[in-house]
Amino acid sequence: MSHSGNGHGSSAPPLKMGLAIPNSKLCMWLFLGTEIMFFTAFIGSYIVLRIGSPGWPSDPKDTHILVLAGGINTFVLILSSYLVVLSHEAMIGKDYRKAWKFMAGTMALAFVFLGIKSVEYYGKFDHDIVPGHIAENDEQALTKLARECTHSRDAMAEALYVLPEGQTKVPEVIQKIADLLAELDASPDADRRIQLEAFKAMHDRLSSSFVLVRTNADGTTSLNSDPAAIKSARDAYDAAVKQHEAVAAKGVVAGTEAPAAPAPPDIVGLSIAVRRELLPLHTGIGHELNPLITGLLAEMRDSKSNPQIARYFHAHDPHPMVYGNVFASTYFLMTGFHAIHVVIGMILFGLVLAQGRNLNADWIDFVENSGLYWHFVDLVWIFLFPLLYIVEFS
Amino acid sequence: MENHEEHHHPPYKFIFLILIICTALSWLADESKQMFPGKGWLAVTVLAIAAMKASCVMLYFMHLKFERHWKYVLLGPTFILAIGLPLALFPDVAVHYYDVDVPQNPAENREAGNYHGEAASEGHSVTSGHR
Repeated sequence: MSHSGNGHGSSAPPLKMGLAIPNSKLCMWLFLGTEIMFFTAFIGSYIVLRIGSPGWPSDPKDTHILVLAGGINTFVLILSSYLVVLSHEAMIGKDYRKAWKFMAGTMALAFVFLGIKSVEYYGKFDHDIVPGHIAENDEQALTKLARECTHSRDAMAEALYVLPEGQTKVPEVIQKIADLLAELDASPDADRRIQLEAFKAMHDRLSSSFVLVRTNADGTTSLNSDPAAIKSARDAYDAAVKQHEAVAAKGVVAGTEAPAAPAPPDIVGLSIAVRRELLPLHTGIGHELNPLITGLLAEMRDSKSNPQIARYFHAHDPHPMVYGNVFASTYFLMTGFHAIHVVIGMILFGLVLAQGRNLNADWIDFVENSGLYWHFVDLVWIFLFPLLYIVEFS
Repeated sequence: MENHEEHHHPPYKFIFLILIICTALSWLADESKQMFPGKGWLAVTVLAIAAMKASCVMLYFMHLKFERHWKYVLLGPTFILAIGLPLALFPDVAVHYYDVDVPQNPAENREAGNYHGEAASEGHSVTSGHR
């Protein structure tokens, strides 16, 4: 670390191979060079992906991006960068106690950063903004909602089911559902009846809502392509349209309203399958399932108002988002790797803080190199903040 | 520690203030985007601010302004290689020789009063009650 003196008492400057900086600092800069390439690969690819993806989800209402949280975290990292600089300055000034305090402040701010990041991550998971979980179109949204509602119903069945005395074999969930419904018919006691009635209400609502959604043998769900189910839905739909047209024609004949594009028939009360067939003619391709999903959500909310159901009901607003999964992947990839770097920086600071009152001049280069690393972590966030939280390319 | 003896004392506090002001400006730009339609200016503004902040951190906090010429030798090739991947991806990913059909644009959807707008007025989410 020290380069002073050549041991011969000569006035000639000491000879040193390589650069006029400590080897540890050179190594840190070489490492940071690889880090620049590492993060530029992520950030550059992200920018290219965004430019190439018109409609990329950028509205905070869709993505649950918290701009204020990102801004506060930017401030936190900048302040921590400033403190680590002051810590290094204090080390050079041989005020090691002061250096330790500045380093402790940096460490505390790193904890604050991770805390705020945890809140953001919790929001993402709470709303299922997770790679591979996001519906990208209406069909996927409906299927996802059906799957989650079905799982909720099955979870309630599993919780309420009581294995009869003497029976050792635990039945499949379908059998459990049938047994629970049969138990309700057998007049159980009052408390049990309340639970079973809630279960039946949930089950009935799902059964009537998801005519076009089927459960596959492997437990997955998909849209039902059964011609009979579709025809039945279509017939009901045609009847609804005719009824609507008849009402509209009456208005025209009576001269009470100008002939205009008829509004969609009232869909309230129709099953999900009928609605699904009904809506495309009126709203065109693309958004036809949106009112349907909204209606279904409202129904599910009604179900959830029952405290017996609310305990078991876990379904997300399916909220279709084109490119939502790529967004979530890139978000978690970049912020996740950045958070890992924060943790590694905290380990470096922890080594310094662990010296306590023994902190001395031997640690000057270590503090400087840790600081360089931390500034780089700050640099990455300086670019992630606008790119992930603010910028809208399209 | 000759490098310490040659140590310069940049105006750290001043640099820190510039960084804080720049962060506040980025946030203000985002807040004012409703008043100034168009997305290009926002991207240019916040990325320019980010570049300025990055320059301040690298030049002063990381002391690159005071380092010798080795910094160019070490960081020059790094930056060239770093921009290589995005440049290589750009023709395939970001340039389209055809119209991209986006089946659903959430913003358009909201403007049309469908789904999001309705959900917003009804409490948004089954599980959490808000989106």
